Amino acid sequence: MKRLLNKTLLYYTVFATIILLLSIPFLYWMMEKLYTDDVDEAILLRKKEFVTNNLRSLRINDIPVWNKFNRDIRILPDTVLSKPKDSIIQEIFFDEMVPEWEPYRVLYTKVQIENQPYILMIQLNLVESEDLIKTIIRLYLGILFSLLLVIFFITRFISNRLWKPFYDTLEKVKQFNLEQHNQPQFTVTKIKEFDQLNASLDKLIRSNLRSYTSQKKFTQNAAHELQTPLAVFQSKLDLLLQDKSLTQAQSVILQSLYEAASRLSRINKNLLLLAKIENNQFTEVSSFRLNELIEQSVPYFTEQATPKELVIEQSIQSDIALQANQGLAEIMLNNLLLNAIRHNIEKGIIEIRVQDRMLEVSNTGGSHALDAGGLFKRFGNSQTDAHNSGLGLAIVKEICDRYGWVVHYRFVLDRHVFSVKF
Amino acid sequence: MKILIIEDERELAQSIATYLTDENYRCEMAATYDDAISKIDIYSYDCILLDLMLPGGDGLKVLEELKRLQKQDGVIIISAKDSLEDKIAGLHTGADDYLAKPFHLSELGARIYSVIRRKQFGNSNILQVNELKIDIPAKKVMVSDKPVTLTKKEFDLLVFLIGNKNRVISKAALAEHLSGDMADMLDNHDFVYAHIKNLKKKLSEAGCTDYIKTAYGMGYKWEQ
Repeated sequence: MKRLLNKTLLYYTVFATIILLLSIPFLYWMMEKLYTDDVDEAILLRKKEFVTNNLRSLRINDIPVWNKFNRDIRILPDTVLSKPKDSIIQEIFFDEMVPEWEPYRVLYTKVQIENQPYILMIQLNLVESEDLIKTIIRLYLGILFSLLLVIFFITRFISNRLWKPFYDTLEKVKQFNLEQHNQPQFTVTKIKEFDQLNASLDKLIRSNLRSYTSQKKFTQNAAHELQTPLAVFQSKLDLLLQDKSLTQAQSVILQSLYEAASRLSRINKNLLLLAKIENNQFTEVSSFRLNELIEQSVPYFTEQATPKELVIEQSIQSDIALQANQGLAEIMLNNLLLNAIRHNIEKGIIEIRVQDRMLEVSNTGGSHALDAGGLFKRFGNSQTDAHNSGLGLAIVKEICDRYGWVVHYRFVLDRHVFSVKF
Repeated sequence: MKILIIEDERELAQSIATYLTDENYRCEMAATYDDAISKIDIYSYDCILLDLMLPGGDGLKVLEELKRLQKQDGVIIISAKDSLEDKIAGLHTGADDYLAKPFHLSELGARIYSVIRRKQFGNSNILQVNELKIDIPAKKVMVSDKPVTLTKKEFDLLVFLIGNKNRVISKAALAEHLSGDMADMLDNHDFVYAHIKNLKKKLSEAGCTDYIKTAYGMGYKWEQ
């Protein structure tokens, strides 16, 4: 990606060069014409001078002497007749001094000296066109270079000065985070477009924040409102269970209802938990050791792992001290361990590894890597497991985000590895 | 035993009343704050079930009123609010226990049983069921005066079953009771069976009658 400044500079450079190059022939032609006109004028002036000052006093005997001392104004015998008279023409003579062929403007005109006809020749040396082109190009290169230099500094100045509000806005939008709820405050500019941009962005962000908040509130309220009907539902099931006339078939139905009820209440509790984390309702922070939490949790999970005959291996190589809400850290750890049990295969392995500032929970399971993108999203997993609330890993992610811990999934050597870097 | 159910959700109050009335409990209901205040002013209860969000007032005010009247009624808060702050506020104001909705009726039954016994017997809270003697504060079990060693989970299970005697307790309720804080994430109830089996075995080996019955393969019952 190019920066706006560089793009502008590039355009300026290309166009300036093209225009300057195109104008060279025109300038050459103009200059040559101007110069020739000037030289012609000088020739005519000299002719006039000669006629007024010298012609009357000049004798035939003086002609060789005159010609000897005047290189550009000569008097020739009236024999050179092939040349047109009284008009300035261009001729090339060989200059012995240089020595080079040089262009000249030449005027032939008839004069009378002591009543004898003679030809007066006035010639003026022109600058070689090659030299002229060289000079023009040199000049032009100079102009081009200084122009580009000026363009560069002006553009940079403009970019930094004029576009400052734009970059300011850009930076603020970049730092904006929907979840952190910090509506960016844009600086007021005196430029209409930027003010419009800021106003539009402000409106966009505001409405986004509003819908995000209301969506969050909705989830929380919905979950809250569901608690009571759920309590009624569950209590009625408990009552139904007391009925002594229940048949075997009815009790099978009742069993399914119980499972659905506990799944519902689990989803609901997790939704409420997520809402609470988002709303910063876990403010109490204490210092504790992760290793202690692991020691506390492992016996429970060992019991939960028994039906699948899972082996829980531990490799604790460092002691991680944490500053966080202990309840949330427990929930994070438990969700990871439960996940490792839930998606494991019969007689599989779970490994808990603590190394440096890193916790890794890996488990055997499906032979394909999971979609890491959807894994941590709410209800993001494609598998519909009757026991899964679809929120466990979303909660892990939410807790990690809260404390700046980095949770990561990878699939290595047939193991699903979840790591948390503290 | 007199129980007051302060709960604005009729159906839930009714379920609780039906579940409890079977045994030697007598239940009364109050659906509003004013109703609750007038009832506790006049009568005394062995246990009060208190919903915190009531039409007409805050449930915590009912607790304060009880304190002001210097009543000794046991109070269990049943609330849809499940934050630590609410729990602490409730217990601090004088509630004996706190149960978040939704809950299993058997869990509530066990809590009521335990609150009432604690109020009645204090440190000499010893439960006697024929040949079985349970010292609840000391967590000791004797069968015909011979001690039986139970794990913590088995002991909890035993007290839970007796607290809901003659009523069927679902496996889900037992599993959640045994899991405590982890219950929210629980998805396998099979481990309950293992604990029940061990408990039955230990009691029968000590010569205790088999009071624990299986109900329709989906729950257990203490029959006596």
